[in-house]
Amino acid sequence: MVKLEFEHRQAGHCESGVTSNLLNYYNYKISEPMAFGIGAGLFFSYLPFMKMQHAPTTSFRVWPGMIFERATKMLGVKTMVHHFKDPKESMTKLNEVLEQGYPVGLQVGTFHLPFFPPEYRMHYNMHNMVVYGHDNGTYFISDTLMEKLVEISYDDLMRVRYAKGTFAPQGRMYYPVYVPKEIDIKPAIISGIRKTAYNMSGVPFPLVGAKGIRYLSRRMRKWEKNLGPEKASYYLGQVLRMEEEVGTAGAGFRFIYGAFLDEASLVLNQDWLKEMSIEMGENANKWREFSYYGSRNCKKRGKPDQSYDFLADMLLECADREEKIFKKLAKIK
Amino acid sequence: MDEKSNPVYKDQRFGQSRELLFSYDKDGNFEKTVGFHGEPDRVILQQAWDHFNERIADAREKVLAGKVSPIVYYMEKNLVDTLNLSMLAGISLWRVKRHYKPNVFKRLNDKTLQKYAVAFNISVEELKKVD
Repeated sequence: MVKLEFEHRQAGHCESGVTSNLLNYYNYKISEPMAFGIGAGLFFSYLPFMKMQHAPTTSFRVWPGMIFERATKMLGVKTMVHHFKDPKESMTKLNEVLEQGYPVGLQVGTFHLPFFPPEYRMHYNMHNMVVYGHDNGTYFISDTLMEKLVEISYDDLMRVRYAKGTFAPQGRMYYPVYVPKEIDIKPAIISGIRKTAYNMSGVPFPLVGAKGIRYLSRRMRKWEKNLGPEKASYYLGQVLRMEEEVGTAGAGFRFIYGAFLDEASLVLNQDWLKEMSIEMGENANKWREFSYYGSRNCKKRGKPDQSYDFLADMLLECADREEKIFKKLAKIK
Repeated sequence: MDEKSNPVYKDQRFGQSRELLFSYDKDGNFEKTVGFHGEPDRVILQQAWDHFNERIADAREKVLAGKVSPIVYYMEKNLVDTLNLSMLAGISLWRVKRHYKPNVFKRLNDKTLQKYAVAFNISVEELKKVD
């Protein structure tokens, strides 16, 4: 029987929320947008050759696990990460670590999670949550998507930790073991912003960053002609689901990132970052508008309310704005 | 089939969970609010579930008409595609595709059937027919 005193705070995104909650347990106060920004979580990629739920994958975030890894590394926090082949062994290790007094972050699949809202139970293997105790086969969970603390049984937990498919979690567990007393957050913020700026505007590859948004916009113009109205609206719906649903706190993380820039301007004492955060907020509102008009196309299936050209133009505007913002942010000192 | 065993979401239960959402107002403030998703978000979620339900009904008809094996129906019901099914069951991709044929499915041995049954979390008897 172990039950650590873990403070549960709801968060917009699972991984940055877990990172901030775990560090908060060690009395290092860091907000969720801060953890997200330092971890360089913002991203865009459109991969038409990789199908997810019968439609091309669009991603608004970096690889799973990257936010925690980067944020803790930049802050000088020492962590442990484990993978296991044998499910039973991983559960024994989990109990052991909990008994030593560390809350543990887990990567899980969402399809079999019993407490999850039923509308989200699709195959999505990049969800993160914290275990903070166990008692006789029951595990106490803090899931940042949920309002309250929840519980899960031994068998269910083993099942979700060994969900299969793309991005299979393979029982991945991670926890900070040492948090330094004095942390200099400034270089971490600058490095996080630089990394994101490079990801969004500097990668010489057409499918990622601002170029990726332009590529998606080019493809979108052809959808109705090539795929037919029904499939086109489903493809559009998939982009919007990745943007608005799967725990992004709205507009594909653009709101969180704006909040991070806002906070960073106070910490670094650089006023121009505040202006950038305002531009980011306007950009996020543009993305919201895009999803609002796009969702109308999904409602009447096969009878588009707005033409795909109109939506593609909107995406182009977002791409231009983001390229402008991140080219400026790349010059941060 | 009872409500619990059915993984497919029904639309009348929308909006049971509240989430943390960020927003931005014109004065340059980012705000956090805990609330339900708005209308556009519900529409796009509903679209996904409509799509899945349609595919399930489609697969069921095909199985009853004897065109494909019940594996296709259970695959759609578990919301996976062929590639993910082959990962779930641990059977190679081309073999899974071959097992879609009713004639091949009839001749499958218990060991292979058991693999599919474990992947779908049902018994072997259930796997042989659709409900």
